Amino acid sequence: MVNIVFKFFIAISCLLIFRGLLAEPLLDGADFDYGEYLSGQCLTCHQNSSDEGIPAINGAEALYIAKKLILYKNKELGNEVMQLVAGALDKEQIASLAIYFNSLEK
Amino acid sequence: MNNLSRRSFVSFALASTSLLAMPAISTGSARPKVVVVGGGAGGATAARYIAKDSKGAIDVTLIEASKHYYTCFYSNLYLGGFRDYDSIGHSYNNLSANHGVNVVHDWAISVDSSARKVRLGSGATVSYDRLVLSPGIDIKYDSIDGYSVEAQTKMPHAWKSGTQVKVLRDQVLNMPKGGTFAMVPPPNPYRCPPGPYERISMVAHILKEKNPTAKIVVIDPKNKFSKQGLFMAGWEKHYPGMVEWIDNDTHGGIKNVNPETMEIETDLDTFKADVACVVPAQRAGAIAMNAGVTDGDWSPIVPASMQTKADSNIYVLGDASVASAMPKSGFSANSQAKVAANHIRGELTDSRVFPAKFSNTCWSLVATNDGIKVGANYKAGEEKIEVVDKFVSKTDEGNAKRKKTYEESIGWYNGITTDMFS
Repeated sequence: MVNIVFKFFIAISCLLIFRGLLAEPLLDGADFDYGEYLSGQCLTCHQNSSDEGIPAINGAEALYIAKKLILYKNKELGNEVMQLVAGALDKEQIASLAIYFNSLEK
Repeated sequence: MNNLSRRSFVSFALASTSLLAMPAISTGSARPKVVVVGGGAGGATAARYIAKDSKGAIDVTLIEASKHYYTCFYSNLYLGGFRDYDSIGHSYNNLSANHGVNVVHDWAISVDSSARKVRLGSGATVSYDRLVLSPGIDIKYDSIDGYSVEAQTKMPHAWKSGTQVKVLRDQVLNMPKGGTFAMVPPPNPYRCPPGPYERISMVAHILKEKNPTAKIVVIDPKNKFSKQGLFMAGWEKHYPGMVEWIDNDTHGGIKNVNPETMEIETDLDTFKADVACVVPAQRAGAIAMNAGVTDGDWSPIVPASMQTKADSNIYVLGDASVASAMPKSGFSANSQAKVAANHIRGELTDSRVFPAKFSNTCWSLVATNDGIKVGANYKAGEEKIEVVDKFVSKTDEGNAKRKKTYEESIGWYNGITTDMFS
């Protein structure tokens, strides 16, 4: 019983947190499943056990990820690979990736 | 609910709550079956993603002869002394332990596409609903007169990683003082377009330190090559006077090689080498030929899914496929594997299928802390995989940037091998 109540509490908390997040215009249109698919492209380089050469991004704040991707897309941050990756992402794809990576354990 | 659609909100909420449920891997015999042949960048990634993302709903078997996989990418860095051999070796244990992939160490001998069965070297057969072939390349030994399987220890191609790279490193380290290293790169198309030129850089790096009066002669069957300006500027900067690159128009064509006398004969001249790396032409791995999904040397694919044009139940990934604008690289194979995995899951479990998205970056090391890169994004056109956007390192960028590019390549190596084997 305690377990069920706990799960219910967590589920409601998740919904409230995500609803709060999704009120942010940069995260409008976010689609978790799409983010999971798109993340495949990121995971060729970004992995979670070390920051050597390429930073770990799992569990980063969704807004932080979205803002970084937009800076790369606009070539305001200077890494050619990231400019290329972000340049090919639209607003919905950026939002989807942001909420997906945010959901992963650090 | 602002601009958020109800559908995506619900699927998102379900996805988040499903984290609590922790589904167990199902072992029911009615599960659809995927067989993956070849455990490299394409096959290991495909097996891992199909098993991981289907959460046990698909029965995945990976057929790979080697128990320990040595990556072809970064084998040049082992050659140059930048990596230990063990550091480019990887085990398949986690694919079984973490994702329930059935890893079978055997050779796939033949495919019966009408019965949907793969026959193994042991005589056993494995049934499939979908088959993924990612066999990499086979060497066309008869594409150079005088070259053969027997010749490959004297003139190693070392183009499939493994022990040949060790042989080549030993030969370079033991080369006579002031001797000649000859490199014969392969003709297009071939695995890893910048690879021969990174290899030349790594050999030059060893020789500069241990045998500085030695020479390198490159007898190329091509008139241009990947990242040419960057490599040639790098050779001049780090190894002045050591590397001579001779294009096909200048030498007039490679007539034959002689592993006994260590000679390479061209229309222009006969070159005598102390150590020679000879990389012949290539074709899709034999199992793709056997499965009847090749046209000529390679396997044509449908860009949106990586299904073969010959058989929609068979997918071909990586080097063996005709991926048009995408180079034959580990990065490309890994990228194609995710497109195929998503499509296969959709076909077998009705999960959502998203538009194909491909990418590639090839990093190369020219000298200590001098890394360069070339990369592109691709989309699935009707007939071909097409470039969307691309970049290449610049010849005039500073040392700090080059060092950072090399460090980035280390991050990529750790990333892609985690993506394949964790």
